[in-house]
Amino acid sequence: MKKILLPFAIMATMAYSGEQFAMSDADRAMYAEILENNPADIFVEEGSEFFEEIGDEEALAKFLGVSEKDLPKYIASFPRYIKKLGNVVGVDQVLQAMQIEQGKKRFKLKSENMFSMLAYVKSLANDEQFNIDITADRHIKASYALGKKTFETKRGGRGLSCLSCHSKDVIGMILRTQPLPDLGEAGTGATWPAYRMTKSSLRTLQRRFQGCMKNALLAVIPIGSKEMVGLEVYISKMSQNSKKALAIPGLKR
Amino acid sequence: MNKLVFRIGCITAFLSTTVLLNAADLTKSYEMPDASKIIKKDSLVPAKSFAMPKECISTDKNIIAIGKYIFNNLNGKNAKDKAPKGLSKFVTIDGKQKAKQYGNCVACHNIEGAVGGGNIGPDLTNYKKIFMDTKTRDNQFVYQKIADPRVDNPKTNMTINLTTKLFDEKEICALTSYVISEKKSK
Ligand code: HEC
Ligand code: HEC
Repeated sequence: MKKILLPFAIMATMAYSGEQFAMSDADRAMYAEILENNPADIFVEEGSEFFEEIGDEEALAKFLGVSEKDLPKYIASFPRYIKKLGNVVGVDQVLQAMQIEQGKKRFKLKSENMFSMLAYVKSLANDEQFNIDITADRHIKASYALGKKTFETKRGGRGLSCLSCHSKDVIGMILRTQPLPDLGEAGTGATWPAYRMTKSSLRTLQRRFQGCMKNALLAVIPIGSKEMVGLEVYISKMSQNSKKALAIPGLKR
Repeated sequence: MNKLVFRIGCITAFLSTTVLLNAADLTKSYEMPDASKIIKKDSLVPAKSFAMPKECISTDKNIIAIGKYIFNNLNGKNAKDKAPKGLSKFVTIDGKQKAKQYGNCVACHNIEGAVGGGNIGPDLTNYKKIFMDTKTRDNQFVYQKIADPRVDNPKTNMTINLTTKLFDEKEICALTSYVISEKKSK
C-alpha cells in the first residue's frame, strides 16, 4: 500500500484554520498530535483491503480501459463521463459498478465502507493535480453546468445558496467565529475524503456538501445524484484552477 | 453439412454476444438517486415586497426580547437560555416535534452584546443612532430588509426570512423592533 503522507496542502489549511477564531490551545495541541498521525489512515488502510477484494489497481485500470501506469492521473480526472456507465460519475460509482460486474454486493454510496474504499482509491492519485476537462464532451459540460447551477441556486428555509457563503466577496469573512474558506485555494476538492475531527469520522466531499446543506437549512440531497456529482465537478475544478494537488486523506476541523 | 455447422456457429456467436452484451450493461449497476424533486420542492419564489403591518414597531420589552432571542440563536434545540414569553422552542410539523428555527443573525452581524458575531453583514451596533436618528433608514426599509433583502439587493448574501415562511409577520416585527431599538452597549 502506498504510504499516505500528510502533505503540505493540509498543513497550509491547518495554519489557515488555526487563526485565533476557531482554535483553543487544547484544539491546537490536538491538531499537533493528529498531524503526526491522521486518524483517517486506519480507514484508508481498511479501504485498501476492500479494494483488494475487487482486484486492486490492475482490475480498476482494466475496467476503465487505461494502463496501470496512467491510473493515478486518470483518477485525478474524475468525476468524468464513463461511456459504459452512461453518465458522468464519481470514483465511488465506478467502484460500485465493479462490485456488481464481479457478482459482489455493492457498498452503498453513503456507507462507511464505501467512504474508506473511495479514500484509498483517490489517494492513489496523491500529488497529481486534477485534470478534469469540462469541455471533453456534452455530458461533462452538462454536469459542470448543473453543478454551477446547484451551487448558485438559493433555496431552503433561509433562502441561501452555497454561493451566499462561498462567493469571492465573502471569503475570509467570519460566519459566527468561522472564517469562510476559499474553496479553490484551500484545495477543497483535492483534500476529501478527509477525517473530520468535529465528527470523529472519515467523510467524503459529497458528505461534506450535505453538512453545509443541513446547517444552512437547504434540503439535503442524496449522494451520487446528478446534482451532487455536478457539485463535485464544480468544486474539484476550483482546486484544479488553483493548481492544488490531491492530498488524501485530508484532515479537517 | 458444412452449411449447418456454419449456421450453428453463427447462432452460438450471436447468443454469446447477446449474453455478453447483457453482462456488460452496467448503466444500472451504480446508485444515481434523483435529487431534482427535492430541489424543486425546496426552491424559492422570486423576491417579494412586503408592507410593514400596522403597529409593527414596538418598544415593549417582551417583544424586543423576542427579537433579540431570534437574532442571537440558531434554533430551539441549540439555544441555551429560556425563551422569552410568547416564543416557543419547539414546533409541530406534520405531527412531529421539531426545534423551532431562529434567525441566527449574529452569525453574520455584530450587535450590542453579541457573542461571536460574524462580519459578513454590516455591524448593527448603534443602529438607532447611526441609521434611524439620521433618517438614513426608516422602519419600512429595515422590515423589508429582514423579510426579503433581495428587493433592495438582488445579489444579497443575507438570509430571506418572510418569503420563505421561516417567520411570520409578527416575528419580523419583533426582529425589526429589536434592531432599531436603543440598546445598552453591553
Ligand atoms: C451559511 C453559510 C454557508 C452556506 C450556505 C454554505 N456553506 Fe459551505 N462552509 C461554510 C463554512 C463556515 C465552512 C467552513 C467550516 C469549517 O471550517 O469547518 C464551509 C465549508 C465548506 C466545505 C469544506 C471546505 C474544506 O475544504 O474543508 C465545503 C466542501 C463546502 N462548504 C461546500 C458548500 C456547498 C456545496 C454549499 C451549498 C450546498 C455550501 N457549502 C453552503 C458556510 C456555508
Ligand atoms: C448569511 C449572512 C447574513 C445573515 C444570516 C443575516 N444577514 Fe443581515 N445582512 C447581511 C448582508 C451581507 C447585508 C448587507 C446588505 C445586503 O446584502 O442586503 C445585511 C444587511 C442587513 C441589514 C441592513 C443594514 C443597513 O441598514 O444597511 C439589516 C437591518 C439586517 N441585515 C438584519 C438582519 C437580521 C435581523 C437577520 C436575521 C434574521 C440577518 N440580518 C441575518 C448578511 C446576513
